[in-house]
Amino acid sequence: MADQNQQHGRRPHFHRGRRGPDRRGNDRRHLPPQEQQTSRDHVDVEQIMREIRARISQRHGIDLTTQQIQELAARRLEAILDPRTVKPSLLEQLRRSAGAPVDTRPADPAHSYSFEATTLYESPSGFVRFMRRLLQPVLKLFFNPNPLIQAMHTQAHINQAALAREAERERRQAEWNGLHYEILQRLVTEISRASLETQGLSMRVEALAAKVDFNERRVRGIENTQHLARPAARTDSAPAPQASPVQPQPRESTPADPQVPEGVVRDGSPEGGRRRRRRRRGRRSPMGAPLEGQAPAVVGDPTAGAAAADVDLEGDIDEEDDEAASPDAPTLSSASSLAPSIPEPAYISDPFESPPSPEVSTPVPLASNEASPPAPEPVAPAPADPAGPPEPHEPSDSGSGT
Amino acid sequence: MKIAIVVQRYGADINGGAELHARYVAEHLAPHADVRVLTTCARDYITWRNEWPAGTEVIGGIAVERFPVARERDVFDFRDRSAVVFNHDHTIQDELGWLDSQGPYSPSLMARVRQAADECDFLVLFSGRYHHAYHSARVAPHKAVLVPTAERDASLGLAIFPPVFRGVRAIMYNSFEEQALVHALSSNTHVPGVVVGIGSEIPAAVDPDRVRMSYGLKNPFIVYVGRIDANKGCADLFRNFLEYVDRTRRVLDLVLIGTAVLPIPAHPRIRHLGYVSDTDKFDVMAAAELLVMPSPYESLSMVALEAWALGKPVLASAKCDVLVGQCLRSNGGLYYRDTGEFSAALDTLLSDSGVAAALGDHGRRYYREHYAWPVIESKYLEMFERLRTIPPTHVMEPLPNWMARRRRSVAPAEAVVAQLPVGPSRSTPRVDNSRTTDRATVDAP
Repeated sequence: MADQNQQHGRRPHFHRGRRGPDRRGNDRRHLPPQEQQTSRDHVDVEQIMREIRARISQRHGIDLTTQQIQELAARRLEAILDPRTVKPSLLEQLRRSAGAPVDTRPADPAHSYSFEATTLYESPSGFVRFMRRLLQPVLKLFFNPNPLIQAMHTQAHINQAALAREAERERRQAEWNGLHYEILQRLVTEISRASLETQGLSMRVEALAAKVDFNERRVRGIENTQHLARPAARTDSAPAPQASPVQPQPRESTPADPQVPEGVVRDGSPEGGRRRRRRRRGRRSPMGAPLEGQAPAVVGDPTAGAAAADVDLEGDIDEEDDEAASPDAPTLSSASSLAPSIPEPAYISDPFESPPSPEVSTPVPLASNEASPPAPEPVAPAPADPAGPPEPHEPSDSGSGT
Repeated sequence: MKIAIVVQRYGADINGGAELHARYVAEHLAPHADVRVLTTCARDYITWRNEWPAGTEVIGGIAVERFPVARERDVFDFRDRSAVVFNHDHTIQDELGWLDSQGPYSPSLMARVRQAADECDFLVLFSGRYHHAYHSARVAPHKAVLVPTAERDASLGLAIFPPVFRGVRAIMYNSFEEQALVHALSSNTHVPGVVVGIGSEIPAAVDPDRVRMSYGLKNPFIVYVGRIDANKGCADLFRNFLEYVDRTRRVLDLVLIGTAVLPIPAHPRIRHLGYVSDTDKFDVMAAAELLVMPSPYESLSMVALEAWALGKPVLASAKCDVLVGQCLRSNGGLYYRDTGEFSAALDTLLSDSGVAAALGDHGRRYYREHYAWPVIESKYLEMFERLRTIPPTHVMEPLPNWMARRRRSVAPAEAVVAQLPVGPSRSTPRVDNSRTTDRATVDAP
């Protein structure tokens, strides 16, 4: 098949589920420079480290330096410490105490004094000091100065102890203030960092969601291709098979399911009725009808389900997960009855492909409410092959492979 | 030629960095010279307790003379003195007191060194920060060949060391980063110096499968070899590794070899083998995906060199200039600054076998060219020959006088070290030291 496609100038076809190096054929993507380098014999440690750091910053999404984060945090801190609600002088004191070393100077010596036994008789003048000392016994005849001296001495000690206590308390308070401000600052920095990371992660989630959406659409396109291409191919090579023994039952039309294509006759095969995909149900509209632009329910012969099962969707889909047959399960139509009436396969083209040539098929336009895809790989439209069976326009690197 | 190697401890079962270094040098110089080792009776580098008998014995064909330590280290006194000289303005006398407190204080060893200075051509002094090396250098500066094993720790900033760096006859550096540090600290470019490093006894053949079987190492693993200590960066290693394991689906174990000082997290992915024989150590390293080296302070990582000799890449901490410099010069290892880089670098090495193999090959080549024993021996012998032919051109500065030694004018050692240049050196190993090293300015961690 791949060779055949190459002869026709088409993109070689490779089975989606194929593993191994030739999965993408000749047009596999080129390795990014960093991967190319890893395969080289010569490696440069600095280059590798640069690449690692570049990868890390890409992963973080928003690449801000530590300095920038700190500046951002400082602005946030300003916003938190609103001067209208917090006393500015207190704030300033906090700020100063965070950066400045703690003042451990001793208490002011002016307030601390010592009072000894000789203090009462001291004088700057040596003569006066001498005379006082000389007359001290006389003075003691009038009153006893010792209790006074002791009291003053004790008071001096008390004063010194109080000053020391106060200095220690101030020092501790300053340390606590510094610690509190530091903690606050670091918390805000961490919050800023975390919010930046959250932003980066949310952007990444968005990107991943877009990728998931894109993949789902591609899967849908593949499924529809499978269902519609096979019966059409069979009509050219063999007489139309007999319809299923079960007579087609017109499906009860619901307002939510108006898009059953004309000519599609539903088959009442119980097997076909059961073999539905769970994932598809999830993509339907709330009323149970397929979304606009999506393929009609199921067409084809009883082998259609098996053919669909051939498509390896890399484990993304619960493939052919049986459900209990409900009485109102849709019936399958016979492929033979469908084939003559549909000159072109009535599949919905993959919305992420380039439009096929008009003479090959007329794809239903993409529903307007679908999100725009993230830059699909361009696929050349398959040229019309009048000799062959009408081949569906295959999505890029996918298809039945049969 | 007669050479006396003076080292703080010596023994076949001592695996400390400088001591092992001294033993290797002694054993490899023995075929070329009459080598004698002068050391203490201590086995423990914390207390310097005398555990070996004093006297002469022969270890590995080398005559080893042991001298008793006169005073064990008082750890509290040493701590207090360290706090003073590292963090506060202090005096030269404080530093000398700190050196005495650190030890090993052995007057008999110093007396023997004085005597050996007359007998021998050269005294090879190991570990400049210790008491014996400092005073030996001052006793016989014209014969002192210093192996400083200097690291970027606070003791390097003490004011008593720069005169020694300027006054010894020659200096054998372990790495270009160490050389740059000592040059910046003491402006001693006039002193003959060479970056030598140290080789290792790499076995001719290793058997990784044997240790995989014997230790039950079924999963791929990375290995850490050395003392399991917070000072060696092991706490960071545990945190980084556990975060990596939490994030990845890769099956990877961390195997630890060495004595545990730090509690090891009880995690199924962390295996501690304890102290193992050299054979087992090399086999485990050969079985590992890579060697991880989280230490922020290294003057030369012998384990990293051994890993490179076995063709294994190294993942080193970028906090250590020496390790980063070795990784850059060898092109044989990656380095990390934080958990993110640890994970990314580890992923690179584990997921791309081409890179890991190429780094390992570069490392092996680097080891062979610069750290194989013939290279090391020739560097030592060339230096000795050079010193024998050239008379000494400089003298050791004397200690300040009594008053000056007691002047409180010496800056805190931490502050001095903080002003030293940082970053790995890009210079390629060479013998001549006339060219200054090119300090990294780009991509320096």
